[in-house]
Amino acid sequence: MERKRGLRFYVKIYFKIIAQDIKSRMSYRADFILSTLGMIATNIAGFVAFWLMFTKFPSINGWGYYEMLFLYGFSLVAITPTQCLLDNNWQLRQNVYTGDFIKYCFRPINLFFYFESEVFDLKGLGQLFFGIGTIWYSWSKLSIPFTFFALVKLIVFLITASFIMAAMQTAAAATCFWIMNSFYILDLSLKLKDYAKYPITIYNGLFKFIFTFIFPVAFIAYYPSQVILKPDNVPLLSWLSPLIGIGLFYLSYKFWMKGASKYDGSGS
Amino acid sequence: MNVKKYFSLTRAGLIETLQFRIALIVMVFGNLLYLTLIYFVWKAIFASAGTDVVNGMTFETTMIYLVLATALFNFMELYIVWDIHRDVQNGAIAIKLIKPMRYKDYMFWSVSGAFVGNFVFTFLPTFLVVLFVTKGTISIGINLLYFMIAVIIGVFINYEIDFIIGTICLFTQSIWGINIMKQSIVLLLSGATIPLAFFPEKFRAVVEWLPFKSIYDTPLTLLLNDDLAPEVIWSKLGIACLWAIAMSLFSNLFWKISVRQVTVNGG
Repeated sequence: MERKRGLRFYVKIYFKIIAQDIKSRMSYRADFILSTLGMIATNIAGFVAFWLMFTKFPSINGWGYYEMLFLYGFSLVAITPTQCLLDNNWQLRQNVYTGDFIKYCFRPINLFFYFESEVFDLKGLGQLFFGIGTIWYSWSKLSIPFTFFALVKLIVFLITASFIMAAMQTAAAATCFWIMNSFYILDLSLKLKDYAKYPITIYNGLFKFIFTFIFPVAFIAYYPSQVILKPDNVPLLSWLSPLIGIGLFYLSYKFWMKGASKYDGSGS
Repeated sequence: MNVKKYFSLTRAGLIETLQFRIALIVMVFGNLLYLTLIYFVWKAIFASAGTDVVNGMTFETTMIYLVLATALFNFMELYIVWDIHRDVQNGAIAIKLIKPMRYKDYMFWSVSGAFVGNFVFTFLPTFLVVLFVTKGTISIGINLLYFMIAVIIGVFINYEIDFIIGTICLFTQSIWGINIMKQSIVLLLSGATIPLAFFPEKFRAVVEWLPFKSIYDTPLTLLLNDDLAPEVIWSKLGIACLWAIAMSLFSNLFWKISVRQVTVNGG
């Protein structure tokens, strides 16, 4: 019978595994630098687009420039853990297809953990700094008092919000256990992150429902950020968002593991 | 010139595209979802602007512009840079370099099937939906012809950019960063994210001097404005043509110099 391993064991082994990944990554220094530059360029392009829009249109649906900026920064930070920690999901399809995935099945540790721990995407950290900078800047311009409690709330809601994106990417990646060429599904779920930076109030009823309950992108930034932006009038869904994030991630993890358990190699 | 060899590559690419039906369905679905986002965002933007016409664009023309820009992007972005990289990595390039066709042409005609497939299955339906939904905003006439010519030139410019980027990757051996940089720069400066009409004047003046606008902005402007003076139309098409030629010459030269760099790991 499989022995349950403690959290301490996993933390220790995680750092050992990613140290190897970072070492091997650092031996391709040019690739690392270019990837980081690429990440920065995408973020700058995103900001320029944002700024261009607001030079012509000062507000969107009652949301001012700095509120939108806050939402934008919030979504950037909330998607970073997925980018950094779960990047190996993009390789899952290849691993399953070529049969290499079998090597993960023979380790006496959690399969999902082992697979994801193999890659730590350093370039995602650039995005984290961008996001934190944006939140900090927009907060300083908004007339929201900065308190210790508010900061704790922000951190808790950021962390739990990051589970939503993680859940969507994990579930999308896991489809490759059933369908070939699941790249497009993963790509689609990545594109959904673009939806997170707009307030859900711009949609009509049907799409509000879809983006809240079917593709829960509204929980990446809109609902959790309400706790900070509108502290006097927080909707119930905002308070529930941490539970929803963790719950969905758990479900996606189960889905991933279910796919992995039916995996039987490529037959070679 | 024997064109048969080119079209046999087009045919093969088309068949390959049709093989991946689920991918096609997901792509169409993803597009629809993306279009809803654009629709609601810009609706909210125009509702907040207070006026119907901003910089000569109404909500309808903005929508058509962005929807078609997205559709054009989807049929032009074929991840050619990755294909070149893969050829270098697994050594297939050695075989392809000695084929009786230039590598650049071989790549182009190989993906041309996907161009045709994507055009028919994603661009055309989108275009027809837009045409019927916005009854009468797009006028049917000679502007369609100008649009098609501009799109074809745009495809060439886009391919040249991809090929130049692919050539750069011969040196760097690293794709992701460069390709994503290219994608975000092209999409922003070509007007595919935000119509060029909304750019502040100074920014716009710079963008006018770059090749990117000929990929998306020129075809869409020619399509949406049927009252353009002939000089304007021909100068837009002329500029696009000049860019296509200039970039083609540059990419040929750059490739010629760089191909000596190719080393395939033996095995």
